[in-house]
Amino acid sequence: MAQDVLNALTLGSLYLLFALGMSLAWGTIGILNFAHGSIFMFAAFSAHLIVREVSLPIPAMILLGALVGAALSVLLQVLAFEPIQRRAKDHRKAELQILVGGIGIAIIPLAIAQRITKSVPFGYSNGAFSVSTYDLGFVRVSNIQLLILVTALGLAGLIGWWLRAARPGLALRAIGVDSEVATMMGVDRRRLALLTMAVAGGLAGLAGVLLTYYLGSIAPETGDAFLLKAFAAIILGGVGSILGVVVGAMVLAGIETVVLVTTDGSWTPAIAFGLIFLMLLVRPNGLFGRQEVRRT
Amino acid sequence: MTSGVPIGRRRALSGAGALLLAVGLAACGSPSSGGGGGGGDGGGGGEGLPDTIKIMNIRALTGPVSFAGLAAQQGIDLALAEIEEDGLLGDSTLEVDSRDSAASAQEAASFASQAAADTSFTAIIGPEASAQALAVSPIAQGQGIPVVYVQAGSEGVLTGDFTFRMTPPAESYFEIVGDYLEQQGVATASVLINTGNPTLVQLGEDTIPALGEAHGFEIVSSSGVETTAQDFTSQASSIAGAAPDAAFLMVQGPQAPVAITQLRQAGFDGEIIGMSAMGAGNLQSAGQTAEGAVWPANFNAGQSDESSQTFVEAFQAEYGEEPTNYSAEAYDAMWFLARAIAEADSADRGAVQQAMADLAAEGFDGAQGSVTFEGNDARVSGVLVRWDGAAEVPFELGEN
Repeated sequence: MAQDVLNALTLGSLYLLFALGMSLAWGTIGILNFAHGSIFMFAAFSAHLIVREVSLPIPAMILLGALVGAALSVLLQVLAFEPIQRRAKDHRKAELQILVGGIGIAIIPLAIAQRITKSVPFGYSNGAFSVSTYDLGFVRVSNIQLLILVTALGLAGLIGWWLRAARPGLALRAIGVDSEVATMMGVDRRRLALLTMAVAGGLAGLAGVLLTYYLGSIAPETGDAFLLKAFAAIILGGVGSILGVVVGAMVLAGIETVVLVTTDGSWTPAIAFGLIFLMLLVRPNGLFGRQEVRRT
Repeated sequence: MTSGVPIGRRRALSGAGALLLAVGLAACGSPSSGGGGGGGDGGGGGEGLPDTIKIMNIRALTGPVSFAGLAAQQGIDLALAEIEEDGLLGDSTLEVDSRDSAASAQEAASFASQAAADTSFTAIIGPEASAQALAVSPIAQGQGIPVVYVQAGSEGVLTGDFTFRMTPPAESYFEIVGDYLEQQGVATASVLINTGNPTLVQLGEDTIPALGEAHGFEIVSSSGVETTAQDFTSQASSIAGAAPDAAFLMVQGPQAPVAITQLRQAGFDGEIIGMSAMGAGNLQSAGQTAEGAVWPANFNAGQSDESSQTFVEAFQAEYGEEPTNYSAEAYDAMWFLARAIAEADSADRGAVQQAMADLAAEGFDGAQGSVTFEGNDARVSGVLVRWDGAAEVPFELGEN
């Protein structure tokens, strides 16, 4: 039982790490970035290419992944999303075009990684860090599991605090509520959008590196698989709420784990997503989503 | 992508009867005779062959199974070069029109339809994924164009006389792992199945329980994972908790290193048994953690068959690396098709299909060793492979 709880918490933390950056960009500057999975994978892949040549400790690997993720995300914003936003006739069309554009752009890093790896999984076996497992009697836990749990919950808390207490965070939330009014109040929307995308990409890169350590290896397509789960966690928790993402990720992981340990496992996605669907029928804005107010 | 091979027109054999064809088959059996990729007497075609013979080659060169598609393409390219050097078909030109299906069933069906509708195409080398093959087979069978598959191991892929498969189904040689488990004294086993893959489901739900009955081990737990599952922590804990003597991991190649790593981290120290998807370098990232994992395979570069080693040497000379099973299967498929065309002495689809059936009835020695057929489905004796922490090594029972 304790092992199942720990497993569910770890899985939830993995979903949370992946979803945090995605939720931040979607909930503040309105960018639902479907290239997030590709950035996540390519940052981990870049760290793999480096660690093949030079053995690096885990902090350096995390930093490397975060930097690559941030750079890719900012590039994406400057080269794709900003032009789309400038040219789109209205907000709704821009959102749709960004969504489709993200799906299209995601294919590029995926194709590069697939071509180089021939779709064979890659990991950090040359790195200086090794995974150790501790048997506490009632539960087995690894050092990387603990690191993921602490990092995921710590980062969620930090971002939640930053959005509520720091001036840039408050400005971001203002953009999320009404970008035109925020701009009139002196908020530099472009600069904050770039900062947000950099943070979101950095989180994706960090998640990519940690996940690769935890799983031992990932494949170029791994990001796509996590994208759907992260999307579900954000919707379940409520767009724009960091607490919502935390709860959404943990609930999704919890349901999946319960289904896994009580059935043969083949119905896991159907039951998990079915329950989420039923929950959204009751709370369409998610568990912690804000009510959307439309003025006429 | 189009590869061209000049093929000679054989005028001397134009009136040859069935006996002469059989003699020709034995003589030009490269790589079936004499072992190796080339060989033969450089003949087998005839004046019935047109200047150009077109083959549609549907490969997953991009996408999630590109590791198989790209490797298969290498095997096809090597076979084509050898066929040219061998002069098997003389001066005519064999054009292989390679299309990237990107593992999409719709794309594969579209390419197959194009080939079926264009009478200049003689045959198809079919796609790797079963879902694609299931879309291609009705088209090929319905419109009478021969297709030979590489991989595509699911039931229902071979729908009639025009559909052939060069990859033996895993269940046909999976039996060899039973003797190994018996030797290791395995009495209990758990099974982890990727429920989105029909081949893996069949192995996990039918083949392995039958193996248990035949070799005296009991299946104590069986659990499923979704097609795209990335984390196996819960399943690994469950299997480790049951503490069986062996764990069968019927998962896709990229899932294998993760599942093994998490099983070991969960404290499982029994035998780990997989299937051929564990090969092709998929365990490289798991390194020492996966040491000792065993799986039955239809081909391994270290297997001792003479014809296999001739292929391996040729492959290494061409690409500077060891071939995977995907390359070996595709290489055999290309040679199989070329020899059938030579024996048919015609690019007519019906004649080529008949020649393929005749060749299948005889069997041949190819990259996979001695290949026989059950109907249109290839069979090999199989080889046991172990991951030694750094490489895949074939072994015989009693060696461990």
